[in-house]
Amino acid sequence: MTDSDKFFERLQADARRLRFEPDEATATRIAARIRERIAEQPSAAVFLARWFRPVAASLSALALAAVLGIAWFEKGTGEADVEAIAAGSEIEIAVAGDFYRVSN
Amino acid sequence: MMGLAAMVEGAAAGPLVLDRLIDEMASDAEQIEPGADALERRAVSLVRNGDPSAYDYLVARYMKRVLSIAWGIVRNAADAEDLAQEAFVKAYEKIGSFREGEPFGPWVYRIVTNLALDLLKHRTKFRHEEITPSEPGARRDHADLRAVSGEIGERIDRAIESLPGMQRIVARLHLVEEFDHAAIAAMTGLAEGTVRSHLSLAKKKLREQLSDLYGGSHD
Repeated sequence: MTDSDKFFERLQADARRLRFEPDEATATRIAARIRERIAEQPSAAVFLARWFRPVAASLSALALAAVLGIAWFEKGTGEADVEAIAAGSEIEIAVAGDFYRVSN
Repeated sequence: MMGLAAMVEGAAAGPLVLDRLIDEMASDAEQIEPGADALERRAVSLVRNGDPSAYDYLVARYMKRVLSIAWGIVRNAADAEDLAQEAFVKAYEKIGSFREGEPFGPWVYRIVTNLALDLLKHRTKFRHEEITPSEPGARRDHADLRAVSGEIGERIDRAIESLPGMQRIVARLHLVEEFDHAAIAAMTGLAEGTVRSHLSLAKKKLREQLSDLYGGSHD
């Protein structure tokens, strides 16, 4: 063992006393705080519910908007189709055996 | 059964938790290999399976060491308490990623060291409530004073605190907490070679400062 090794062996033996030694009250207080924090942690069901509720609400709102949008679109395009058909087709009228055609 | 009771001697976990752990271990003793860490493995397993009360045992077992590591880095009892608390809560939250069968201690030591180093960086950045290394005793409170008793202790403490940056932390973890190079490397995230280099420089400076305490010539 070199001089240096002996020096640091003795230094380490004394330095060990520099460890922080909390008293029982401190250790108990910290342990209680940890227990409290852990108890606050949500269970799996609560955790899932917390995520699920806003996601479900958003999806519902999205679905409702989609349904309303499609209904409105279909209503709008349905009326347009009838007008378009009427505008683009000839109408035949029969009066006393004669046929008359009416077109735009 | 007596052996198991002896194993937990010194750990300040609640008696109910320990009794329950010992009972549960005795009931499936064949499946668990005997050893000083059997209780710890059992506690980790219970926590992983959703029993938070078993965590008390792990907290009681490692509390003092975790506090001491934190205090050694941040040098303030209130901050050390907060860091210890944070480290245990973080370890609990991440227990799912903890590899079962490995010792819990090094894992929580690594967490608290990282948190303490982050706090140091934050202090350096914002420089609020900072304790400069040149005046380590300036803000010690009652709890801190308990740690540095005796003239020799104070000399050593001052010498370690006078070291720059990571040399101070590595020297404290090695000399005071008695971690080896590999453990310090794992805790601080430094390469083992870097730890050795910091320690070598720190030792040289400490020897210069403390040569009158232990005698001996400089190499």
